Amino acid sequence: MAGIIDVPKPRINCSMLSQHINRPVCFVGRVEKVHPTGKTFTLLDGEGKVATVELNEPLEEELSGVVEVIGMVSNKGAIMATTYNIMREDKGIPFDLELYNEALKVVHDFPQHYPFEVASSG
Amino acid sequence: MSMTLTHGAVEALVKGLPVYNPVLQLLNMRKLNSPSGTSRYRLMMSDGQRSFTSFLLDTQLNHLAEENLLVPNCVCKLTKTILETLKDGRRVLVVTGIEILQKAEETGGKIGNPTPYKADDETSQSMDSGTSVSEVSSSAAVPGPSDTNNSTPSPRGYGSGFGATASPMKTSPMMTSPMRASPMKASPMKASPMKTSPMKTSPMKTSPMKTGSVISIAKLNPYQTNWTIKARVTNKSNVRSWSNSKGEGKLFSFEIVDESGEIRLTAFNKEVDRFFTLLEQGKVYYISKATVKIANKQFNRLKNDYEITLHAHSSIVLCDDSQGVPTLHFDFVPIAELENKEKDTILDIIGVCKSAEDVSKITTKTSREVSKRAISLIDTTETVVTVTLWGEEAEKFNCTREPVVAIKGARLSDFGGRSLSTLFSSTVMVNPDIPEAFRLRAWYDQEGYAVESQSLTYTGSASSASRINWKTLSDVKNEQMGQDEKAEYFSCVATVVYTRKENCLYQACPSADCNKKVIEQPDGMYRCDKCNRQFPNFKYRLILSANLADFGDNQWVTCFQETAEVLLGHSADTLGHLRDTDETAFEEVFQKANFTTHIFKNRVKLETYNDESRVKVTVMEIQPLDHREYSRTLLRNIHKLASST
Repeated sequence: MAGIIDVPKPRINCSMLSQHINRPVCFVGRVEKVHPTGKTFTLLDGEGKVATVELNEPLEEELSGVVEVIGMVSNKGAIMATTYNIMREDKGIPFDLELYNEALKVVHDFPQHYPFEVASSG
Repeated sequence: MSMTLTHGAVEALVKGLPVYNPVLQLLNMRKLNSPSGTSRYRLMMSDGQRSFTSFLLDTQLNHLAEENLLVPNCVCKLTKTILETLKDGRRVLVVTGIEILQKAEETGGKIGNPTPYKADDETSQSMDSGTSVSEVSSSAAVPGPSDTNNSTPSPRGYGSGFGATASPMKTSPMMTSPMRASPMKASPMKASPMKTSPMKTSPMKTSPMKTGSVISIAKLNPYQTNWTIKARVTNKSNVRSWSNSKGEGKLFSFEIVDESGEIRLTAFNKEVDRFFTLLEQGKVYYISKATVKIANKQFNRLKNDYEITLHAHSSIVLCDDSQGVPTLHFDFVPIAELENKEKDTILDIIGVCKSAEDVSKITTKTSREVSKRAISLIDTTETVVTVTLWGEEAEKFNCTREPVVAIKGARLSDFGGRSLSTLFSSTVMVNPDIPEAFRLRAWYDQEGYAVESQSLTYTGSASSASRINWKTLSDVKNEQMGQDEKAEYFSCVATVVYTRKENCLYQACPSADCNKKVIEQPDGMYRCDKCNRQFPNFKYRLILSANLADFGDNQWVTCFQETAEVLLGHSADTLGHLRDTDETAFEEVFQKANFTTHIFKNRVKLETYNDESRVKVTVMEIQPLDHREYSRTLLRNIHKLASST
């Protein structure tokens, strides 16, 4: 758990999952379905594609709306979540997932302008 | 003793020239039957020189014929006639006012030796041209079907009565060979549907109509009673009920389109029950047996002089074969031309939705709650206009990915200059499958998104206004703005990083238009040098010094009363009071303003104070930042920069 917190986690969508296998990522999507066991759920990204998220412990709360998940991408392309947070949409401004997706694409298309490496020397 | 007829009147009437109360002789009269029951009388009138067969007696005057007041050979004075030219060029004179001057017995027969007046060559040509159906039929039908037609005395097909005898160039006395004339116009389908109508063969086979002949919407007119049209429903309204002094009822209306044009239909009361659920937008139907009348332009904004009312005998049948029937008929007005149009005009518009406000709920005069949403559309004229959507359409509209929006039947308003509003009867299509939409999409993706557009709708908000001079804070120094002694204006997106709470308030003259600082006198009064008066009180006013920052630079600015109040979220009076009473709360106000991001409209100018010149920036206006709109602008700029390298 500690390992993933200090490490840069690129924001990705479903199309980028395959390029980040076994790497920590940050995935934002809208909750589609929650499995009855509460240990897994699916998210829709800004392009409408589906990603599966798996948890270590079952959910203790109702999950709906837009969620940000931090975790590792498994071999099968699912996200093994270490933590998640729900984006609040009750403050008047809804989360524009399509717009977020557009921003994601720009960040990935121009990595030279978005250097996200953490400076190793403190 | 024969009466004097008005020579030349017939030709003049048919040509549409003014003739005052012409005196004509009725040579012949024919009763036309229609399935809906009303008879129509067709008259052959002569002016002694020429005769014309296409006079129609207005139905309100039918009693003249039925009571034998109008009898062949009587002489009459036409006090009122209406010349109608049908879509195919044929001319009809509707007699709406007539006086019998001399009874038939007294005239002693036909006066003079009138020759039949043939309508212009143009008329005959237009009969041949027109829909492909009749083109084909005129060759096939002329030699052929006359036999079949002759044997059917009562006209069944379209063009009954009138159509059958419509061609003055073919026959003169209409009694002798009405049917022979009919092949020109009447029921080409009826004659030989397989031969003459390649496009319509299948529907003819499957058509449940016995009368079977489908005509185009453009050919509809009130004088044809037996017709069938095949068209697609483009727009269907909801059922509306009314209750007024005359009673109550319900209605719904819908619009249909075929290759020749469009027309609006309305169903009332019982017909609403019969047809409302049956009709679906987008589907094609055969419609027949309804009343065609002059369009009520107050409610009907289609380009058709006529409209249709359904009645108890009307028939609407779903058609499986919709080949050849277009989907929707649009007539788009370029956005830049909206300025030239009159307000309240109903028109069609298409554009790319650049931005949309969030949906809001308002309460109408009738205390109904209705949702509304304003969206901005831009087209290739590089002009933007605001369109208001209502109800469910407003609620489910999504403007991300900047869709192409086409609206049929929006109303132009002069609100905010020029703006559009959708109506009950409008059709809104998002990303429609029409060539115009693809063209717009291509234009927008390649260049349209970056265009500095002019908005026709003044909304006052920074996000939709044009001609804003957008700068970043580093530009102010790099471009040496404001150095030329002349004030320069610019707008920027920036974050407040510091607000100075010391000396932000001063005591000002309480008079309405005076904001001069007042000096406190020893006796407790406050003196204003400008008004040259003393006051027992003052009003607090703000001069706030703040530091704004963006990614590139920071900038000290001054905010006066109005903008300072917006930034701090409190009035000067409240702050003055707070400063004297609750120091902590006062300080908190300034803390809260930090790290808020806004759109600032600023003035930058070189100012001299005591021999020292400095470039000063004053905030003129503060607008809230719509993050989504701003993100979209940034994405646009990125794409623009990326494609230009």
